[in-house]
Amino acid sequence: MNDDANLGVLDDRQAGHLRHFANLSRQPVNDWSLMQGRGTGQDDFGGYRFQLAYMAYAMALAHRHRLPAAPGVFKPVFERFMEKMLLPEVWMYWARVSRGGSVFNMHLADQLSEDWNPVGRDNIMYSAYVQSMASLYNYLFDDDRYAAPGALTFKYWSFFWGGKERRFEYDQNSLNEHIYWQMVESGYLGVACEPNCVFQICNQPAILGFRMHDLVNGGSIAAEVTDAYQKAWARFGRLGSNGHYNMMMAQDTQAVRENLGPSPWVDAWCGTLMNMWNRDFVHAHYPSQIRGWLMEGTNGALSVRSAVRPEVMGQKVVSDDSDFGWAATWASEMGDSDTLQGLLTHAERFMGPAWRNGGFYFPRNDTTEDAQGNRTLVEPMTGNVLLGYASLNVPNGLWRLYNEPWDANHHTNPALVRVDEGVDVLQARFDEASLQLRFTLRPCAAGRHLGSKVVVGRMSGRGAWTLQCGGGIVARGVEGRVELSSGGLGVQATKDGVELSTPPDGSSFVMQFEDA
Amino acid sequence: MMNHASSQSDRTCCCAVAPPPEPVRPAPVSGAFDLIDHFGRAVNERSYGDRHLLLFFGFTHCAVVCPRELAKLERALGLLGPLASAIQPLYVTVDPARDDPGAMQRYLSQFGAGFIGLTGTAEQVEAAKKSFRVFAEPVQDAAAPGGYAVPHTAFAYFMAPGGRYKAHFSDSLDAEMVAQRMRRHLG
Repeated sequence: MNDDANLGVLDDRQAGHLRHFANLSRQPVNDWSLMQGRGTGQDDFGGYRFQLAYMAYAMALAHRHRLPAAPGVFKPVFERFMEKMLLPEVWMYWARVSRGGSVFNMHLADQLSEDWNPVGRDNIMYSAYVQSMASLYNYLFDDDRYAAPGALTFKYWSFFWGGKERRFEYDQNSLNEHIYWQMVESGYLGVACEPNCVFQICNQPAILGFRMHDLVNGGSIAAEVTDAYQKAWARFGRLGSNGHYNMMMAQDTQAVRENLGPSPWVDAWCGTLMNMWNRDFVHAHYPSQIRGWLMEGTNGALSVRSAVRPEVMGQKVVSDDSDFGWAATWASEMGDSDTLQGLLTHAERFMGPAWRNGGFYFPRNDTTEDAQGNRTLVEPMTGNVLLGYASLNVPNGLWRLYNEPWDANHHTNPALVRVDEGVDVLQARFDEASLQLRFTLRPCAAGRHLGSKVVVGRMSGRGAWTLQCGGGIVARGVEGRVELSSGGLGVQATKDGVELSTPPDGSSFVMQFEDA
Repeated sequence: MMNHASSQSDRTCCCAVAPPPEPVRPAPVSGAFDLIDHFGRAVNERSYGDRHLLLFFGFTHCAVVCPRELAKLERALGLLGPLASAIQPLYVTVDPARDDPGAMQRYLSQFGAGFIGLTGTAEQVEAAKKSFRVFAEPVQDAAAPGGYAVPHTAFAYFMAPGGRYKAHFSDSLDAEMVAQRMRRHLG
């Protein structure tokens, strides 16, 4: 459990990825700049819901493993992502897709009707992300705001369309229960995305949500579901005849569609997530699966081979599959540092990394490859989210989030409970043995206008403390009271805890608590 | 930014205001059914007076899950002692093509605890499955009697008198745990 203590401070890229997430979270309502992909109408795998959810997951991993004592970095951003997740622009596609969805459903056209409730049936490719984000938030921050009645309300009304407001009220518990019973009704094969289409991938976030719900509320829904899922899929096989993850099943015929490409996104997205509850299985098949599509480049770079998508009904299928990004996240989860480093090397070299307002990301590039045949395709999902996720994750990071919960002390240990958004936190860890809170701060020049203060909270009952910086004591106090402040850091007591300003050049701090 | 809800770790203070009651949510299953019992009588969820109902869905040709679960439920009811008389155990077929009232009665004669079998037309059984959100789909299986099996949800549903949902027990729970949970609901 303490492997993370050896992780060290965030490097510039990692801090930059976190800042890019925060920058996107601060964009005004319905400003989806940098997040728009090639697909239309939120139908494909690059939709806003996926970007928002996986940025939330990436932050969960970063908080859990790298900055466990800095909830103030993540909480506000998470809340803004949740607000965006509930916007109609993110889920309104369902009014169309509920009527038929995939090309596979033409025979069902007269049986399916328009449904505005984005979590009422099917559509696990949205509902599970809302469910899991809400319970993840509760677990990470010990804050049950999304458990309040109506906290997760999906609503839409348009002056230009008329009619009554469409309004569907849930909370994290009612939504969890709702998805659970859909899972039961499916025989634990999984809830459909588009009607009649059950994807292995898309049921994994629901499992994460069940587990977080169990950790917050007690119970063992996740264990029940994963056990039954394995039994249900045993009849069909979770792997196809070629050893790659089966992509989906049609509910009415129970016909399974294999990953014949094989497409990297199918294996990698599934493996990235399924590892959390089925580690041995995922690890066992990983080496042979990536051999199916990983490509060696020059000077240590690695890339992926995307399967050619055949035309369907005479039409080219446009989808931000994000093969490269998912390969990176999977390598990170598997602890395959060689592959991860190879992919990141390729990304740095060929995918045009950029800095924007102190945030680091890879801008969208629709060109598949350069003149030398090097992959240059970057979808917003890959460039905004997945490469950041991969950089911030640790080996078996999601498995450890799922299986090694924080102990009961975590939410009462001293931590950076508030962090102005002009500050990069590169380290934040409380060591219970030594009673030290160690944190490293750096001001972000591009974010100067967002403030430079941090607050150390949860000081109640902690007794006397000293704050050291640069080898000397710069402040001293007892619980939330400050008795000495020097060094120009403006250390002062606030209602939330002890506030200080980030030095212009950044610095590392040690807050030492007395053994009470 | 103000927190909209208090931290859960703050709720241990003795001065704290009692948390608001949990919101009342609709039951996850409706619990309604119109079927025929193994005596040939038409019954529904209100046919059992003031007794709670313990329902399990399955089929008489089920090789493993049903015999195991019915035996477990029999043991669980036995552990309740006299309290068991407040419960009517019911076994609802998901294979009405083969499980007529006679077949159900013969099958259940090997179990104690007073199980009553319920069957009906295909439409009636389908409606009951929907009511309880039960998964049960016939699949071809050359090794199975009759050439097909019906994989099915393996929950036991515990309903209040009149058929209101109280709880469900998955097959991962042993007899002792099922008995304990039923006892809690019986008050």
